[in-house]
Amino acid sequence: MLIAKGINKLINLGPIILLYYLSISELDTYFENFFEILSFNIQLIIIYFWSLKKPELLGNGHIFFAGLINDVVMGLPLGISSLSYLIVSFVATYVKNMTVNTSITTDWFTFFISLFFSNLVFLILISNFTNISISATEMSYNTFFTLIFFPFFWFLFNFYNSILMVNRNV
Amino acid sequence: MSSSRDDFSIAFRSALLQRGAAQKFSLFSLIFLALLIFILDINNFNFLKPIRSIINDGVYRISLVASTPSRFFPQVSDSITNLINLKKENEKLKSEIEIYKKKELQVEYLANQNKSLKKILDSEESYLKKESIILSKVLLDKNSPYLKSIIINRGSSSGILKGMPVLDKEYLVGRVVETNYLSSRVLLLNDLNSRIPVTFGEEGIQAILKGNGGIKPILEYLPEDYVIEKDIEVFTSGKDGIFLPGSPVGLTTENGEVKLFSEPSQLSFVKIDIANQSKEDF
Repeated sequence: MLIAKGINKLINLGPIILLYYLSISELDTYFENFFEILSFNIQLIIIYFWSLKKPELLGNGHIFFAGLINDVVMGLPLGISSLSYLIVSFVATYVKNMTVNTSITTDWFTFFISLFFSNLVFLILISNFTNISISATEMSYNTFFTLIFFPFFWFLFNFYNSILMVNRNV
Repeated sequence: MSSSRDDFSIAFRSALLQRGAAQKFSLFSLIFLALLIFILDINNFNFLKPIRSIINDGVYRISLVASTPSRFFPQVSDSITNLINLKKENEKLKSEIEIYKKKELQVEYLANQNKSLKKILDSEESYLKKESIILSKVLLDKNSPYLKSIIINRGSSSGILKGMPVLDKEYLVGRVVETNYLSSRVLLLNDLNSRIPVTFGEEGIQAILKGNGGIKPILEYLPEDYVIEKDIEVFTSGKDGIFLPGSPVGLTTENGEVKLFSEPSQLSFVKIDIANQSKEDF
């Protein structure tokens, strides 16, 4: 019983662990060796999906800290990734408050809106308040592939979500 | 009409301010905090520098530990491949040993050669000490579509300062852009923010090597109507007073790019030239 409870808790912590691990580890989603422009931001997909489907699993504080860690590892000004992540979380929470039934197409479309605002704020802050140059083309490729890969992760996370449901019912 | 506007404002306010049972902080407070941290960080206040340095050192070490599995699995697969090839290699080595046994004179010659090579190695070590070159291990090499940089395990405690050139063997790979007590960040030559004064060709053409985020940086500010030939060696010109003149960088290509001698994604150990102690003010 105690072990089952522990496993259940660990499964519930899955999204947070994945978010922190992707922020702090050397593991990246930039596949220039396979295709020069192929890169996507899996953190944004994780934040959007879980803020939309199960906000109780992914607290805003965790999203904020994961962003700070990402900034330190990537060498970006502190706070910029947190802001970008929190905007995605905000759009997801707003969509959750406004809609009753969602499907993959509605989620995909609203994810595009969140991605647009998040990257817009990121680009405005980086180009106007820091000395760092970022290629807008690279950024648009990244946004495009993040959007393209969203359905794949949507199904994957939905499957994980169904495991969570089963565990809760058990 | 007005009820839909009310719905919008209620949902907006609720998303921004509501905390609920699972959320300890409201989104509004965290967005405000992130903005505050961003403003403090970009203004580079002196009191924040040691704090940022400690945070960086801590996070880099944790990141190194967290990255161990992603490095461990490729190593395991390599070990398995090695084990499979071990028998074949063992037989090959045995036959090689037999050949060496038969050629005692040659072995003696090799031993003498080995001694002389060791002497050269010793003298190179003293050369390294004399030239104040610090060897450093690459701690983190997180690939990003935006920024091309690495983290090394030497910081201000080893005398590293911002702006110091970083070499792979004798080839320039980048420069230090951030120093912490135990670690530093190196901006690679192919980063979009990298600008290096270089010279090349028999006429000593001056140019700026600009990173473009890709594998090959590009040459800018060339003389008017200058046609670049292929495979000309590019060296640092030292015009900026930061880089020593004559460090090899790469070979030119026909379309004005430079193929770097040192592959930026394959760095595991680098050298930092601390002879030039003038701290660059970024």
